[in-house]
Amino acid sequence: MINLKHMKILGIETSCDETAAAVLEANKGKFKVLSSIVLSQINIHKKYGGVVPEVAARKHVEHIIAVVEQALTEAKINDPKKQIDYIAVTAGPGLITSLFVGVECAKSLSYCWEKPLVAIDHVKGHIYTNCLEHMANGKWKFPALALVVSGGHTELVLMKDEYNWKKIGETLDDAAGESFDKVAKILDEIIPGEVGYPGGPFISKLAKKGNAERFDLPRPMINSGDLNFSFSGLKTAVLYLVRDNKEVFKKGDAIDVCASFQQAVIDVLVSKTIKAAEKFSINTIMLAGGVAANQELRSQLEKAIKDLDPKINFLMPEISLCGDNATASALAGYFKILKSDFTPYQKVKVDPNMEI
Amino acid sequence: MNFISKIEQDTIDFAKKFVKKLKGGEILSLEGDLGTGKTVFTKGLAKGLCIKKIIKSPTFVLMKVYPVTKHKTIKHLVHLDAYRLDDFSELENIGIDEYLNGENVVVIEWGDKVKKNLPKKTKSIKFKIQNNFRKINY
Repeated sequence: MINLKHMKILGIETSCDETAAAVLEANKGKFKVLSSIVLSQINIHKKYGGVVPEVAARKHVEHIIAVVEQALTEAKINDPKKQIDYIAVTAGPGLITSLFVGVECAKSLSYCWEKPLVAIDHVKGHIYTNCLEHMANGKWKFPALALVVSGGHTELVLMKDEYNWKKIGETLDDAAGESFDKVAKILDEIIPGEVGYPGGPFISKLAKKGNAERFDLPRPMINSGDLNFSFSGLKTAVLYLVRDNKEVFKKGDAIDVCASFQQAVIDVLVSKTIKAAEKFSINTIMLAGGVAANQELRSQLEKAIKDLDPKINFLMPEISLCGDNATASALAGYFKILKSDFTPYQKVKVDPNMEI
Repeated sequence: MNFISKIEQDTIDFAKKFVKKLKGGEILSLEGDLGTGKTVFTKGLAKGLCIKKIIKSPTFVLMKVYPVTKHKTIKHLVHLDAYRLDDFSELENIGIDEYLNGENVVVIEWGDKVKKNLPKKTKSIKFKIQNNFRKINY
């Protein structure tokens, strides 16, 4: 029997370069985040221009125990064996060496504390962040459509209800966030030191001052008729633009490249989401993932949805929940717990290429 | 030898032909800057091997494995990104050794980054942008 009153879930997430743990309390469908610790390794990886798997795994090993301990302390859990009810851990997709650390930690805790364990799909975790606020206010309604955009993913997911989900569109090459990283790398030649890793925050900050209409960059696959994405060709278009003007481009031009590039990405994301919303009859559209922190994307998507049909709910997580975090794993865990969809600790497997 | 690719489809067609000569057990190191066509080439290899799944950038997860069902000797196409690595042994940590046998074709984008301990039999394929064409040296 699942006790729905004051259920406490410990979430653990190490799929990429954030070591994270959180304690979530679920009380008859209402959620309260008792603690959420995210230790980012960005400062370590930025000098390499991306996550270095070896380094990430080693740092996860160094930090995981302290991060879990801090999450428990902040949540005022003195005796986890008595006070924690379930453990939810991200098992994929992600970097295999990083995933192992969180999963092994969760398995050990499940064994020591004798607590049931649920294995979480990281992408689903991103989507479930939207129910944190909106389940209680009734906006968490189905059927729904989710746009998940991050450094590793660009997917449109159709959700019949809380459990029946289907991927209806995805990138054919680079993820949206990855294209921001690559464009940042290309622009480093013009404005050295002013763009770094991850590319998204640098580019969106510069783009604010830029002219998004200055450069006519391609909107790949915008009229492809299906719901898939492609960002590789857009990156190449930016590469050519910068290469052909290397001698003359100054900072102001680079800022216009940022704005024009960002707008091209947003146009495709918004257009495909709206197309999907027109094709399937839905009540709700959700945004999720690291790129969901992009303010322009948030406001332009919101406006497009309002123009399409003001009756559609539009949900997006608060900025702190867009990037990787363990609250997401705990929330996704809640729904698996309701179904008693546990995995014995001996059987939890890491799956770096897990798919919805 | 050199191949000049004028458009993306040229690279795909070239890779489709290229893969016909492979039997399994080959390691290909794809070397060239951002946007020179390494992933497109891999998409072509996959097409030539009748893989239906979408070949996506392996940058995020480093290794993607695609089963091959319609080939006599090749069982998997293994697609890796070594951009952020500097020793082939790091690829062993993410599980490449499982696929280093006669049944698979292993493709390493940015293979030049993991020169250290790279198996001797690795074939290097170089990609370069020349004007608006791409030169593939193999």
